[in-house]
Order: sequence, then structure tokens, then C-alpha cells
Amino acid sequence: MKNILKISLILLMAFAVAGCEDYLNPVPETQLDASLAFETKERIVGQVNGLYAFMKSGAFLGGRYFVYNDIRADNFIPKSTNLVTGYATWNHSLLGSRDEVQNLWGAIYSAINAINIFIEGLDQNKTDGNLEGLITDAEYNQYKSEALTLRAMCYFDLLQLYAQPYNKDNGASPGMPLRLTANIIGGNNDLARSTVAQTYTQILKDLNDAEPLAAATYANALLRTTRIHKNTIIAFKTRVYLHMNNWAAVKTEAAKIVPAAAPYVAPTGAPLALSSTFAAIWASPYTTAESILSMPFTATNLAGTQNSLAHYNHPSSSESYYLNVTGEAFLALNAADARRVLFQTGTVSGVTRYFVGKWQSYTVQSDYAPVLRYAEVLLNYAEALVKDGNVVTQQAVDLLNAVRTRSYPAGAYTLASFADAAAFNAAVMLERNIEFLGEGHRNMDLLRTMSTIPSKGGLPTVPPTSASYIWPIPDSEISTNKLMTGNGN
Amino acid sequence: MLFSLLILTAALAIGQTVLVTGTVTSSDDGLELPGVFVTVKGTTLGAITGPDGKYSLQVPAGSRTLMFSFMGYVTQEIAIEGRNTVDVVLKQDMFNVEEVVVVAYGTQQKRDVAGAISSVKGSDIAMMPVQSFDQALQGKASGVTITMPNGVLNNPPVIRVRGYNSISGSSSPLIVVDGVPIFTGDVSGTNAPSNALADVNPSDIESMEILKDASATAIYGSRAANGVIIITTKKGTVGKAKVTYDGYFGYTQPYRLFDVMNAEQYIEHKNLARANNPASGLAFEFFIPTDAEGDPIDTKWSDYIYQTGFQHNHALTISGASAATSYFLSLGYTGQEGMIQNNSFVRQNVRLNIDHKLNKYIALGANFSYVNSLGKAPNTGSLAGSAFSTAGAGRLAFVLPPNLGPYLNDGSYNINGSAIGNMGQPVANYGYYNPVPIFDLNEFSTETDRVLATLSLTITPIKGLALKTVYGIDNLSVEDNVFQTGLTGDSYASNGYVYNRFARPTRWTWTNTANYTATIAEKITFSLLAGSEQQYTNNVSWTGSKTNYNDSFFNDYQGAFVTAGMGGGGRSENYFQSIFGRLNFDLSKKYYFEVSVRRDAFSGLAVDNKWGNFGGASVMWNLSKEGFMSGVNEFVSDMRIKASYGRVGNMSGIGSYASLFLYSSGVYGAVPMWQFTQAGNPDLKWEASDKYDIGLSFGLLNDRIQADINWYYNDVNDLILNIPQAPSQGIPGNVVPGNVGSMFNTGFEFSFTTYNISKPNFTWTSNFNFSTLKNEVTELAPGVTELLGYTSGLELTNRTVVGLPIGNIWAVQTNGVDPTTGRRIFVNKDGDEVLYSHENSNKWTYRDDGSVAPVISLATDGKAAGSPLPKFYGGIDNSLTYKSFDFNLGLTYALGFYVYNGSKAGLRDQRWWNNSVEVYETAWKAAGDITDIPKPVFNDNVSNGSAMPITENVEKGNYLKVRTISAGYSFNKIPGNSGIEKIRLYAQVFNAFVFTNYTGSDPEVSSNGDTNLSPGIDRNSAPQARTYTFGINLSF
Repeated sequence: MKNILKISLILLMAFAVAGCEDYLNPVPETQLDASLAFETKERIVGQVNGLYAFMKSGAFLGGRYFVYNDIRADNFIPKSTNLVTGYATWNHSLLGSRDEVQNLWGAIYSAINAINIFIEGLDQNKTDGNLEGLITDAEYNQYKSEALTLRAMCYFDLLQLYAQPYNKDNGASPGMPLRLTANIIGGNNDLARSTVAQTYTQILKDLNDAEPLAAATYANALLRTTRIHKNTIIAFKTRVYLHMNNWAAVKTEAAKIVPAAAPYVAPTGAPLALSSTFAAIWASPYTTAESILSMPFTATNLAGTQNSLAHYNHPSSSESYYLNVTGEAFLALNAADARRVLFQTGTVSGVTRYFVGKWQSYTVQSDYAPVLRYAEVLLNYAEALVKDGNVVTQQAVDLLNAVRTRSYPAGAYTLASFADAAAFNAAVMLERNIEFLGEGHRNMDLLRTMSTIPSKGGLPTVPPTSASYIWPIPDSEISTNKLMTGNGN
Repeated sequence: MLFSLLILTAALAIGQTVLVTGTVTSSDDGLELPGVFVTVKGTTLGAITGPDGKYSLQVPAGSRTLMFSFMGYVTQEIAIEGRNTVDVVLKQDMFNVEEVVVVAYGTQQKRDVAGAISSVKGSDIAMMPVQSFDQALQGKASGVTITMPNGVLNNPPVIRVRGYNSISGSSSPLIVVDGVPIFTGDVSGTNAPSNALADVNPSDIESMEILKDASATAIYGSRAANGVIIITTKKGTVGKAKVTYDGYFGYTQPYRLFDVMNAEQYIEHKNLARANNPASGLAFEFFIPTDAEGDPIDTKWSDYIYQTGFQHNHALTISGASAATSYFLSLGYTGQEGMIQNNSFVRQNVRLNIDHKLNKYIALGANFSYVNSLGKAPNTGSLAGSAFSTAGAGRLAFVLPPNLGPYLNDGSYNINGSAIGNMGQPVANYGYYNPVPIFDLNEFSTETDRVLATLSLTITPIKGLALKTVYGIDNLSVEDNVFQTGLTGDSYASNGYVYNRFARPTRWTWTNTANYTATIAEKITFSLLAGSEQQYTNNVSWTGSKTNYNDSFFNDYQGAFVTAGMGGGGRSENYFQSIFGRLNFDLSKKYYFEVSVRRDAFSGLAVDNKWGNFGGASVMWNLSKEGFMSGVNEFVSDMRIKASYGRVGNMSGIGSYASLFLYSSGVYGAVPMWQFTQAGNPDLKWEASDKYDIGLSFGLLNDRIQADINWYYNDVNDLILNIPQAPSQGIPGNVVPGNVGSMFNTGFEFSFTTYNISKPNFTWTSNFNFSTLKNEVTELAPGVTELLGYTSGLELTNRTVVGLPIGNIWAVQTNGVDPTTGRRIFVNKDGDEVLYSHENSNKWTYRDDGSVAPVISLATDGKAAGSPLPKFYGGIDNSLTYKSFDFNLGLTYALGFYVYNGSKAGLRDQRWWNNSVEVYETAWKAAGDITDIPKPVFNDNVSNGSAMPITENVEKGNYLKVRTISAGYSFNKIPGNSGIEKIRLYAQVFNAFVFTNYTGSDPEVSSNGDTNLSPGIDRNSAPQARTYTFGINLSF
């Protein structure tokens, strides 16, 4: 009996002390507590790469952003009427509740917040002296310039779909809510839209801040294609200024990386140049000197279901878009043109259809997504040269030819080819339309020139006065951000 | 229970004693009763009657009362009054008033329970052709709703105890099996659902107790808000070894399938729709191709998807007990085919429950069960998140056109890339899959292995004190296997796909309790319980996938594929630590008091918020023991009034690391990266409920009629809501969790058991329960006016707003079809009627003057279209026995709720989708037609509700279901020496009929599974199954 009592007492004491503090404070093994994010250089670099990974979301630069900008315009006809794969974007029936409207917005602003968190964290740790011994000042500058540039790209890309073109009214229309500080715990819902002009001002500020901080170049082609360096920033600025019709600035920026005459190779920094063949741009390893910035994929790091460019452009996909044979780009293409040669064909309802062949890896879908190519810089430059003064120059013609004759030598222009500046401008626009098929430029080019979106597949045209000329603002933003206003559609 | 009474010892007390002897007989037949416990009240002294019903007992002088108890008989207390011989006639407990119910950490006499507890016997559900006991609980208990989402095997039902008690978290109750909280929910990651509760074989269950109010659940503290279901498995009973075999076989079929157009009707209708839309984009008319024999194709797709499934089930048990040891051993095998082709469920299980009393101080117990289950299913499109899958079988059965066939005339599959081939029809690409090749080639399976075991040690050092330690483990292994062919379907693009997942959630629970029970002065009985509990859960899983097979020969993960995907998986752990206590106290069985408290810590909460305090109290007054009731005792045999209050918690919405700010790692191309992925909340704490309950229990006519009536009010506050953040903030997931919401549930519960006839040869017992529920959300997060509920992430179907029940169906109002134009009449937010004409450039026009109207959208014009929560629900059970025949009829019903019939939107959609025959017959054709179905215009996906939910498709769900009908015949006197004591043969129909005006397949449906924010949605789900079984029960 006494033993029993003893055992019982021991047992009772066991309950009393039972429990384990360590168990109550478990540390996650597969995720990292935010307080540890700046502890090593590897993690800081990892965060920079993480910012690019946000950009590379399938909803954004991983694929869909380009697709939306293409299928809104006139070059493509869908195989499928699936709303999930952009049908409502194609036929201009988008509502603020549609997935693409909400998902793209969410993906871009997620990237923006990640950038803001990173910039604040980096600066705070710099101020606190925590970075000493971890990274050099040059590395600090480089990472910050990459973050600022990515933020500028985010806002620029938002403007392309969610706001009226700058050229409609010199940017007086509602632009984006400018989120420039880190949001970690939420509650900071209400923020009004800045104007389009104010948004451009911020974009240029970020780019101008970033340019002097940026790395001149990187050690290898992969890094030069997938990370931002000084010439990336300059190249992107030519696009931004082009969208503002600021020809002088386009010329200034382009001149930094484009020599006055051929061969067109960037004189300083990363040696940007056109790829010798058009096809090489789209072939592994996708890192020609022309690819200023691309989103990289591997078999284990893909854009996700219904996101990749191959899904939207490959004939094997049941939800891809084939080329509109009555579209301007298709009609203008000569059979010998390398860009035409690259087309793939597929049978749709017994009819042979043509598909953009830039992303040929359908089974794996790991072809890179091009964000910025040197060919664009040349065409941006050419356009600005002529539009700034309305005189066609040999330099402009040479730049245009550099892009054109690479794929279609027989199509070379001369000064005499153009009766006037308007004819040249039309030729540049046509060249852009052909060169960048599937890369998401067509809608941007139509809108920045305040052009009517042409009809396709029996759909009516969409003039700049139409409510459908730009995307609606997502319902979820309007319902949570009390200062947010819609686009009237 | 008998066994625990054996712990009573016949130790001789010191001091003067008197010998009392006597005989115990049965009132039933006058025969002597062996094995009756005779105890001296207020002591542990006792004896057991011998084979002749006689006992003898040394009773201390001054003892006044003897108690006689025997299972199945009413316990009697007899005053000794100085006698040396006390003979007793025990009355049979015909009306089960002696029932013992299992409560938290113990048992109580049913009548001593002040809390609201519903008790269901295992035998009531053991024969049902279900996979898990929860599926069988429907209609069995007041205040409990069980919704079978659809007829996919082993799909976990939606369980709600007294309404919805959470918004962001789970509203499902805590499930405790033999004292240990076990894993619940769907543990599968494939199309074959795997309900964790199916690992308890229903035939092993002795009883199920559903604890509903706070006084019953408070001792479970932070996990009690959704109610608690306590499962107790069987034990051996005293006597020689008993062997039973229960088996059934049967078949299952879908019922209430949709009546869709045949090929002739289809082409006639679709060509009409084409003619009505000049911009249809169809170059030529639909036609009927011919098959290889030259006959016109007319495919009934449901024939390729549904089947008659064969099912069989076997359970063998061996049980028995001696004075010191009881044992229960069971073996079970369940093999079920579903009503959907390729859907199957196989379970094998063993269980051993053993209790042994080492000596008068120490008792040991062990329960061990091992279960293996294997589920297979195609993509049914019927699980949460898959309603819009283009591979979903439930949808393919009615969406595919009848003028397409599964095969081409050369015998090959009719496919076009991932989708079905168009056989020359004007639609280029149907997008939807041909079910035949994907049924033939794809495979989705989930296999689980589960060990549920407890080991217990009870020490009784002094009279009335029991020190108990229980260690329980729940070790679950889940293996998911997915193979998708590269020939067609989801993995056409990747040229074949395999996916494996192995998950190993494990848990241990260690509970220590000290329980002291004593009686003071024969009047006051009290019981004091103190305890501590720890529970550690570890979740580990890994996943792997590969694409692009080297050869279509390979169809499992180990096969050769060109591309290996990134491996994945997860790791998390969490821990509970608790202390708790309870005091029960009664005065002369008239006045009862109970207080329980629990202090819980959960590892997932932030440092300062880990601990929370919970508790409850109840009082009960037994009026029937009062003098003033003596005059009516003939009529009112029992009457009790009860009241309880408690504050309990819910933590199901809190993840293991919810309070932390976290970065996740991955790759950018080929280089590693870190991304900010979780915004935590350091202020997060438990959700809590204040629960109030008032009850009245009574027995009439000698307890021939027994009733429990309860009113409850459950104020849920500190609800954890994912507070929607402006997406432009860029917070991961666009939400931050916070304790911000509140809601209440209130209602009445009525439960009656009546013994209508109780003759030896003829009995008729009825159970009737009826519950009401009013749920209302009273507060959401600041600045949040609504929470959106999506169906499969695509269709916005429900909204939760303040002032209405949770998860209201939200739709644009429609007022039928304009007879003049045949257009659907929509009603905009201002109440104006607007017509929709799909083919016109101005699609929306005012009905009155034809002028252009603003576009109707759910966002601006939607309104609350009905609550999916039944206002009234319950069940009616009738059991009859007549001589050797038995008969049972089980009904369930639910009233006063709405269902969004999303499948109807699909069945009326004017794209190429096949439509119901109703559309063919009644669609508007000419001015003056009065109909609900508008003029068919090809590609019109708006008029019938595909583009946005419309009130046309929101229907009342009222139903009465004949859940079970069974009839049996027993052979009691088996000739010869086969050893068989009893044979019962029976036949049963499960889900026999449903009476409803609902036009979908079944108003008992949940396309979104166990969801709080989007209940009541019927979207492309497979129907329910009806099952016929024939069974045998043998006992040796």
C-alpha cells in the first residue's frame, strides 16, 4: 500500500512538471523568420533574386502580362472560349471581377511590396551597420538599383493596362496608387490614385536613382540577361520616354547604348547587340546579347498551369491563340522572312493555322520570356529620331533596317522608301508589330499612339473613346481601398 | 461498464458487521438473476449474486441502504431497515433510463448529466453501407447537421454542431476516440478523398456522444467551440467468449441523374440557337455523325461515367471478459465500388481492446487498432475546388454533346489534343475532355495506414481516488499516387505526369488525471477531477512529380520520365499543453452542480498570447424528487431543469506558425531566392464562444416517453477573420488574420424517444428530433462589409455580411422571361427590369422602353438571395420488432434553406453545352410563350446564369429523405450443435428516396466541401448514391 502511494505521488508530481517550453515555441524548418533575412550575404542576394521571382509570377512577366497585351490587339484569334485563358480580354468584355484583372494587379503589387520591404530592410540594416562585412558598398548600390528598377517596371506595366495612355491628356488621367513603403502587417488600405503623369514621374525617379548605382555589367551572359545592369535601365528608359512622346529623352537615352552608326553594339557596360539570327534569340540558352532582360525558366521552375507563353502560342495547346490572317502583321510578312519562317502550324477545325513559334518547348514550357530586347531599343531610337522633327534621317532608316534585314534582307529600306515622316512612322510601327509578335508590344503601341484597336474575328473595333479601351480596376481593390476609383468600366 | 464496477472490492471493513442475505429475481419472468452487483450504499462493500441469484454480504452496523445493479435492469436502492434477508425483484430497464453516457474524461449516468449531450449507439449505425461513422450520424441527434457533399466514396461529410461557429477556421467538431483527439478531415491529396474518420470502423464503435453545450465541452477548452464528438470503442463483457460475424453485400447506383437532350434534340436546339445568333461564329450547322456501323451517334455520356457498384463488408469479433480481464478483438474488411466508374474504397482493419486488473490497486488498459485503406477515384469534379475542372466527371456526364462519341469509327479515342475531338462539328475545340480515355488511363489513389492506440494505467491507492495516465498515439501515413496520361486530358501538354505524395502526420497525447469521488452522509456525492494534458503533432510530407514519359508504358512515379519536377512537401509541428479540472456535486440526486475549467497553451500563437483560460458551469434541478411532484409521479416519472454557461475556444483557424513573419525559399531560374510570403499577426489569440443553454428533460408514463428540450445561445466572438487588405498593399495573400468578428447561433432542440409498444413479441420505438437554427453574423473586421465566398475559386456565389446568416447566397435578381421578346429579365440595383440579348451590340436594354441600360453585374446588382443554412432540421427513426421480424425506417429532413443550383446554369447554358430536356421542351420560341427558359441564342452564357449567379437558379432546398429502410428476420433457436446462437438476415436500402421540390440532383449537397463561407452550392457535383444491401449477423 505504501509503495502504491509513493508511485501515485511520483505520478502526480510528473503531471505537475509535465510540459515542455521548447515544444511551445517551435521554429519553422522550411521557412525563415523575417528577423533572419539580412543575416548573410546569401540571404540578401536570395532576396534580390526573390524580387525577380515576384516579377516572374505566371500572372505577370512569367507569361500572362505579355499575352494580355497581345490578345487585346488584332493579331490573334483564340482556339478556346475559356475565360480563364483570356477570352474576355480578347473580346473586350472584361469586368473588374475577372481573374486576369485581379490576378495581374495582385501579382504586380505583391512585387512592389516585396521591393519596398527589401529596400527598407536593406537601408535599415545599412544604417544599423549590420551590412558591414556582409556586402560591399558597390553590392549595396547594385541591389538597391535592381530593386528600384523593378519597381519602376512594375508601375510602368500597371499603367499599360489599368490607366489611360499618357498621350491622351499628358498624363492627367488617373494613374496608379503609388505604394512606396513596406506593408508588413496590413491595415494601410486607403490610398488614392496618382495621375498618370505623377506615376511616370515616380517611374523616372526610380530609374534615374537606379542608373548611377547599377552594376555596369555582369560576368556572364546568363546574369546579363536575367539581372538588371546599367544598360538595362537605360534601355528601359527609352521605352518609358517613348510612351510619353518625349522624343528628345528617348534619343538621349538611346544614344548612351546605341552608336551613331552600325555596328550597333553598346559602347559601355554590357555589350548589347542584335543577335545575328532571329531564331537564336529563341533557342537555348536564350542569352544572346540582344536579350537585355528575360525571365528564365527551367524544367523545375515554370510559369505554372495556363500561364506560359507556350501555352498561349503553341499549336499543341488547346487554349492557344493563332494568328489572325487578316491582321496587319500577318499580311505584311514575306514568306522568306525569318520571323515568318519561325511560325508553327497547326490544324484548327480542319483549317491550317499559324502560330508564333518563339516558344517551341511545349512539353516542358521552359523557354525564356523576353522582357526587353535590344531590337526594341533600336526601333525606339529610330522612331524618336524621326518623330522629333518629322524628318526621315539615314540614321533612322539604318536602325530600322538593322532589325528588319536581319530577318528579311530583301526588305531593306532606303531613304527613298519613305515619302514623308508619316510613311516612316508607319513602317516603324509595322516593323514593331512583326518583330514583337507574341511579346506583348502591340497593345502598348496602339494605346501610346491613341490608335483604335482594330477589329478581329468579327469583333467590333475599340476606339480610344470606348470604356473598353483600357482594363477595369479590380473590384477587390475598389472594395477595400476607399480612396480608389474605377476606370468607368 | 460492468467491468469497471468489478473494481469494487469486497474488502472487509473493520468493525461490527451484520450478515445480510437474499435472492434477486427478474420482474420479467421471475427467474433468479446471477451476476447482480449488491453494494452497501456509500461504501465499496459489495457482493455478486451467484448462479441461483443469491448473495450474502457483511454489512457494517448502521448501514441503511443496499443498491442492486445489473446491466439491462433498473438499479434499485432498498432500505435494510434492520432485516437480515433482503429479497429484490429487479425491473427490466425497458426504456433505457439506466443508460450510461460517456462524458469528457469519464462516464456518467445519463440522468446525472446536466450538459447537453446526445448519445448514439454504435449498433444504430454499424450496418449502414457508409465508409465512416460520421456519415451515419445524419438525423440521429438534435442540434447536429451532417451533410454528405455527394456520392463520391469516403468524401468527408460536413458536420455542424449547433450551427457555424467559425468563419475563417473550421466549424467541424473535435473528435475524441477512446480519450484521444484524432486527426480529422480529408487527408488525401488526390481525387480520391480519404476521410480520416473512416479509420475507425463503424462496427467497432460502442457509442458516440455528441457534446453540445459549454458545460459538457468546457473541459476541452480551446477546442470545444464546435462541439465534441466522443467515440468509445467496444469492450468485452463478462461471460464466455462471444464470437460474432456481420456481413453484407449490395450494390450502389446514382439516383436523380439529369435528363439531358439526345442527339436529335441537341442538334435541333443548338441549330435554332445558332440561327438566333448571326455572330455565332459557327460556319455550318451541327449534325449527327454516324458510327462505324453507319448508325447515327447518340451518346449518353452518363453511361460512360456512372455504374452500378458492388459493395461488401465483413466484420468478425471475438470478445469476452473474466473478473480481471476483458478483451475485444475485431477484424474488418470493407470493399466498396462507387456509383462512379473507377471509384472504390477498400479497408482492412484489426482492433484489440484489452483491460486487465493487475490487483486491487492497479488496472491496465490498451486499445490498439491498425487500419489500411485504399481509395481510388477519377476526377469527379465533386471535391472542394474542382467544380469547374474540365476533367470533372460529374460535369462531363451532362455537359458533353450527345452527337459526339467517345471513339472514332476506327476504334481510336475521339480526342483533339487534351480535349474531346469535334467529329467535324462547327465547334473547333470543345475544350472539355473525353471521359473515356481519361477514365481508362488515368489513376488517382490514396492509401493510408493508421495506428490508433492508447495505453492506460489506473491506480486506486485509496477508496474513491483514481489516478489515471493515458498515452495515446495517432500515427497516420498517407500515400497519394497520381498518373495522368499524355494522350489527352490534363497532362497532354506535358506528355504524361506522375505525382507522389507521402505524408506522415503523427500525434501523441498524454493525459494524466486524478479523480476523487465520495459520498458524504449518503446525501452529497461529489467528484473532483484534476488533470493535465499534452499533445504534440508533427506533420511531415514530401512530394515528387515527373512529366514527359519515356514511353506511355510508364504510369507510376518510379517509371522512366524525361523531366523530374521539383520535389516538395512540408514540415510543421505544434503542441498543446493544458491543465484542467472539474467538480461535480449533487445533493440527494435533486440538485446538481458542475464547474469545469481548462487552461490551454498552443504553440502556434505569439509568445504573449499562448495561454488562454476557458471554463463552464451548470446546474440541474431534479423536480421529480420533490415532494410536490409526488402527486403526478404516475404521469410524470422524471423531470429535470438544467442551465449552463461556459466560455470555450476554437483554434482550428490558427496555423502552426500563424504569428510569425516568414520568408520562403525557391528558385529564380536556377538560382536560389528568398521571398516574403507570410505576414503574421503577433496579436492573434483563440476564437472564443460564450455558450448558454437551458434544458428541460422529462419522462412520462413510467419513462415510456422521454424528452429532452434545449434552448441554446452561442455567442461566438474574437472570431479570427482574414481581414481583406487592399491588393495594392501587396500583402501575401491579400489578407491578415485578426480576432475581429462575431456571430451568434441560437435555437431550440427537441428530442423525443417513445416506447410506443413494448410487448415481448412486439415492440415499436420511435425517435424524433427537431432542431432550429438561427445564425447571424454581428460583426466583421473594421472597414470590411462583406466576406466573399467563391465556388472553386472562380464563381462568386456567397457573401457573408453583418445582419445575415453566414455564407448567404448572392445573386442578381431575375424575374423570369419576357414573354414578348423571350429575353431573360434581370433586375438592376434600382429595381429596373433589364433584358439581355446576347447577339446584339447593345446587350442590355430596359424592358420598358428598350433603351440601352448599364451592364448588369453581380458586384453592383447582386443581392442576398437566401441562406443556405437550414432553419429546421432533424430526423425520425422508427424501429419495430414483431416476433422474429424487425423493421427500421430512418428519415432525415431539413427545411427553410436555399441551394444555389449552379449545375442548372450549366444545363441551360447556350454555348455548345448539352442542355436538359426541359430546355428543349420549354425554351421560349415565339411571342407569348410563358416559360422560365429564355430564347436560345448560341453562345449566350449570361441569360441562364453561367456568367453570374441569378435568382432563377437559387431554389428552396426543403427535403425529407428516407435515409434507411431495413427489414430483418432472426433465427433464435438454431437446431443442431453448430454453436450458432443467433442468425439475423436483413435487407436495407440506404438513401432510398428524397422528397423535395429542388430541381437539382439533391438538395443535400456541398460542392465546396467543409466550407464556412460558401455553403449550399450545387455546382457540377456527382449526385448522391442509393445503396441496396443484404446482410447477415451471426453470433456464436
